[in-house]
Amino acid sequence: MRERLGLKKKRWVIVLDTRKCIDCKACVVACKAENGVPIGQFRNWINGETGGDYPRLFASFEPEQCHHCERPSCVRVCPTGASYRRSDGLVLVDADDCIGCGYCIIACPYNARYFNRETRVVDKCTMCAHRVDEGKLPACVETCPTKVRVFGDLEDPKGAPRTLLSTHRYEVKKKQTGNDPHLFYLL
Amino acid sequence: MDHIHWGLLIVSYLFLGGISAGLFFISGLATYLQETGSPIYPRIARVGAMLAPWPISLGSLLLVFDLGRWYRFYKLFTTFTWHSPMSIGAWFLLLFTVVALAYFWAWLPGDLVARAAASVPRRLRFLRILDWPGREGLRRRLAAVGFPLSLGVGIYTGVLLGAVQSRPFWNTNLVAQIFLFSALSTGCATAILALCLGGTALDSRGARLLYGVDISLILLEFFLVVPYVIHGELSPLAAQQALRLILGGPFTFAFWGLFVGLGLLAPLLLELWEIRPLLLDRGEFHASRILAAVTALLVIFGGFVLRYVFVFAGQMTSFE
Amino acid sequence: MTKPITRRTFVSGAAAAAAAAAVAPHLGCANFLKKGRAVRGGVREVATACEVCPNKCAVIAVVEDGVIRKLNPNPLSPKSQGMLCARGNAAVKAVYDPDRVKQPLIRAGRRGEGRWRAVSWDEAWDFSARKLAAIKDAHGPQGVMWSSTEGFQEEFFKNLGLAFGSPNILRHPTLCLASVNLAYSMTFGTVPSFDLRNANYVIISGANRFESIITPDTMDLVESTMNRKTRLVYLDPRFTVTASKADEWYPIKPGTDMAFILAMLHVIVGEGRYDKEFVSEFCYGFERLQSHVQRYTPEWAGAETEIPARNIVRIAREFSDAAPRAVYYAGRRSSWYSNDFQMRRAQAILNAVVGNWDREGGMVPNSKIALGELLYLPWDEPAAPRVDELETRFPLAAKGDGVFIQARENVLAGKPYPVKGWMVYKQDPMSALPDRGRTQAMLEQMDFVGVIDTQMSDTAWFADVVLPESTYLERLDPLHMLPGIWPVVTLRQQVIKPIHDTKPNLEIVQGLAKRLGLSDYFDYTIEQWVEAQANELPVPEPLAYLKKHGVYAPPDAPFYGTTRKPGHRFLTKTGKIELYSDRLAEARHDPLPAYEPPVQPPPGAFRMILGRKATHTHANNTNNVWLHEFAPVNDLWIHPEPASRFGIATGDVVEVRSDAGVVTLKARVTQEIRPDCVFMLHGFGKKSRMQHLAYNVGACDADLLTSSMDRVSGNAAFHETFVRVRRLAEAAHA
Repeated sequence: MRERLGLKKKRWVIVLDTRKCIDCKACVVACKAENGVPIGQFRNWINGETGGDYPRLFASFEPEQCHHCERPSCVRVCPTGASYRRSDGLVLVDADDCIGCGYCIIACPYNARYFNRETRVVDKCTMCAHRVDEGKLPACVETCPTKVRVFGDLEDPKGAPRTLLSTHRYEVKKKQTGNDPHLFYLL
Repeated sequence: MDHIHWGLLIVSYLFLGGISAGLFFISGLATYLQETGSPIYPRIARVGAMLAPWPISLGSLLLVFDLGRWYRFYKLFTTFTWHSPMSIGAWFLLLFTVVALAYFWAWLPGDLVARAAASVPRRLRFLRILDWPGREGLRRRLAAVGFPLSLGVGIYTGVLLGAVQSRPFWNTNLVAQIFLFSALSTGCATAILALCLGGTALDSRGARLLYGVDISLILLEFFLVVPYVIHGELSPLAAQQALRLILGGPFTFAFWGLFVGLGLLAPLLLELWEIRPLLLDRGEFHASRILAAVTALLVIFGGFVLRYVFVFAGQMTSFE
Repeated sequence: MTKPITRRTFVSGAAAAAAAAAVAPHLGCANFLKKGRAVRGGVREVATACEVCPNKCAVIAVVEDGVIRKLNPNPLSPKSQGMLCARGNAAVKAVYDPDRVKQPLIRAGRRGEGRWRAVSWDEAWDFSARKLAAIKDAHGPQGVMWSSTEGFQEEFFKNLGLAFGSPNILRHPTLCLASVNLAYSMTFGTVPSFDLRNANYVIISGANRFESIITPDTMDLVESTMNRKTRLVYLDPRFTVTASKADEWYPIKPGTDMAFILAMLHVIVGEGRYDKEFVSEFCYGFERLQSHVQRYTPEWAGAETEIPARNIVRIAREFSDAAPRAVYYAGRRSSWYSNDFQMRRAQAILNAVVGNWDREGGMVPNSKIALGELLYLPWDEPAAPRVDELETRFPLAAKGDGVFIQARENVLAGKPYPVKGWMVYKQDPMSALPDRGRTQAMLEQMDFVGVIDTQMSDTAWFADVVLPESTYLERLDPLHMLPGIWPVVTLRQQVIKPIHDTKPNLEIVQGLAKRLGLSDYFDYTIEQWVEAQANELPVPEPLAYLKKHGVYAPPDAPFYGTTRKPGHRFLTKTGKIELYSDRLAEARHDPLPAYEPPVQPPPGAFRMILGRKATHTHANNTNNVWLHEFAPVNDLWIHPEPASRFGIATGDVVEVRSDAGVVTLKARVTQEIRPDCVFMLHGFGKKSRMQHLAYNVGACDADLLTSSMDRVSGNAAFHETFVRVRRLAEAAHA
């Protein structure tokens, strides 16, 4: 009934197929451009891993950003309520309320937050909430040449995230925090 | 991403806050321990009361200026976020400071207050209310009110760190107690130091109280630090890796050499040496001022190092 | 009738209000103050085409309050497929780069000293035209060289050179892909595209599609290898990102790819695994090919390439089984070895015999979309022969492009005649040519060097005049047709007005033309040009359509099989696909690719190989602050085994020396490269002090590269430089 009335809450998530990630940095630059991130600071990044014994070598890459957890550590510790979780799952920072104490930066298990040198408050990936609210994709998702990220509403039974997670094995990072993050990495 | 976000300013605040909490604690204790209607240890009570508000005030100032936008510090007091240790702590801080200031006022020597009130200019006449006759009577009540607040201030600095799940070095249930007992111990030591610097010799009763409290606190700290390390070694990998920082890592010397060695063991041994007449039931107990001062300084130094190691090492740990 | 407010109702009302205020949106927190949100200002979206690399991806620029905020992908282009790479996103910072050339500059001190006088356009044009005219008087129009790199406005620059009467029009292909294009042209009469999206088996020599540049082929390869089960075999002396994604990677001995291909042909032809019908219907010279490849056994190739022979056999069989949906990818930058043309010919022949021509999953000749043309006054053919002696030295090479290295060597030698003037457009030969010292010498012996560019490149740094072009986001450009299996017409329209005193190339050319008496050849505006082009498009109001959508893509694409008709005549001498080439024989080159082992570096020396990175287009954007973050400096890749012999650890400063020059940079010890090779990224060690982020940072590979050329096409051969490496200093510890 709630679904029919459109009252069901959304849960925005990103599903990542990291086989496709080629470390091209398109998503990092797109985010920087879209969100005015200062030089030297990043809202998203690529974790790269290489190894092996020549000539049997491997390399793999995976993007990461704020995981927009269901039970975010950052919101829990914020003393002013500037860090908050929207009902659609996005974890955001109200820049007007943030006092820059840095507690959330330390509390985040993913090191996703940073102290924005220019605005002097805490900053992080917002999943481009301003774009999502207009029905668009986050910049990192849209710009990716290999379409590593799939963005969508996990509550939507026909949505891409639900389809992918139903048909693939996947994992989340640092599950042991109990934060229930919303970035799902296909295995 | 591997930055240290909380640095020396935070370490200093935790250190100073702990001292204030400890000072109030020992002063409150001294206020309450009465014989025939007046405190047994008036000098301890007074020196604690006189000093208690100031370290934490300085610490709070450092805290405010550590903020990204320092002028927004008031926002800590426009909300109460029960699940945020920092929000709770900020309120504790505020209330404690207010009570400590009132307690300070209550313990001011009567003649000092009278003279000050008399010399107040006409326009600021209303300040004369501060020379309120019931002042001394408030001491016990303020001590009672402030006691839990001081414990709150002492504990919450540990909870602040301990509640952060993603930092295995902190995320144990012992860190709050370690910080509390360290706070009380450094506060006690500051009182000792102040009395030594004050010129008059410590009366043996007062000295016995202070030494007794401090030795107990140091022993309690040992009983916290050792399990912290042992338990950490028996914990999942993340905790073990975090402990590496003090077991062979960059903070090993600071922790064991400076904090445990100079900050706990050395003062413990010195204090035990001082009170050996009482322990061996032989000879007179005289508290040497110089030795007492040195001991106090070592404890205070140890308290700073403890917080330094915890704050910095903790931020360098995470779990994979 | 109103009830008086009793104390009870007031209190309960106040309590209710307080409770309501306390139950704030923020869970678990009572927030007494609430903020509103600022509303965003006026936002415009303009469709245009990117220019940071040659792919011309479709882009939508977002302009807010007159400032470009963001470049978003335009989903309508089947070429860029709804994506925008790091470089494209970073273009915003190129427009607002404080290091940009902001007005015309005339050199005030010595060449390369970096002292400039800011002048008006009139003065810059007058000065340049005077100098050019003087050279024309003294040495004839052939005394001025006109070199440029591809771009939507390049044609105007080239035409100026032609109208000026100079035969010395030089373009970039002989620094890049002339050899592969010529090889495929000579075989098929055209250069085809590769339908990687639908192929089932792909072999790639060195073309690092997942790292060096993001092109439609990159996306297509991701689609087939990762969404379907297309098999990828990749040969490269370096373990690149593509190597990490390939099913099989072989650190092939450099320069031996031809052996691999010839052995594959040996197996496929020898075991009858080729497409017999296709070969008999469409190919010429098969019998001669058959006998030619008999000696190229897999065992022999295994020793040459250091790839196990049994793998070569297996791959050859798998490849032919997967055919016709099997391709040996041609690659793009083919500036590797002096026999590169023949290696690419071998590839083309292999592709031909498995019959993958002009079908889904194979190689497909490009379809085009007809554009209109604005008619303008034609000019006479230049009287003098080319300075690079192309007609005699490289008769098969593309005349319109010239042979860059040969041109430089001849100009330095002053033969066959003196060239004393050099106009450069959208090109940085100081970085792009091998042996930077010689390029600098050529600059220094010029009477006049004029550079049209958006930034102070190293070449501009040594020029007499810098004529700043507006960036692509500040101009309207001619329409451009991108041929292919999914052809597209793309529009580049002005997003913002130029923020500095810069002009589009056409206006710069017109300013020069006027003063050279050549106005008649350029008597049109860019709007007229574009209008004429657009009118041929099969949509109503084509220009308005393009301005709105940015691209026009024919709805009936993809186009396969247009040439697979009986009796189709290929654009070759025999009218068929030429496995054996008479033309090559006549020009005294091998008509069938004959293997020569590559020259090996002397003992103790390394072969230096080149490559690219997704964040940098050659030397063009190492000064872009957003891209600089990812690769602020280059380093020398060296395998751990030779590194330990030389006592080199990561971070150590090393000296690298070749016959051309010597550089110093830090080492990066890594297993990701063959022990006999070293690698450094292109685009660093700049001399231009107006490129602050790249000035004197790292090392310039051009300082080390020795000059050699492919024998048939004149394409530069960049992988034949041998270097010695020596440790200078230990890494500094943080």
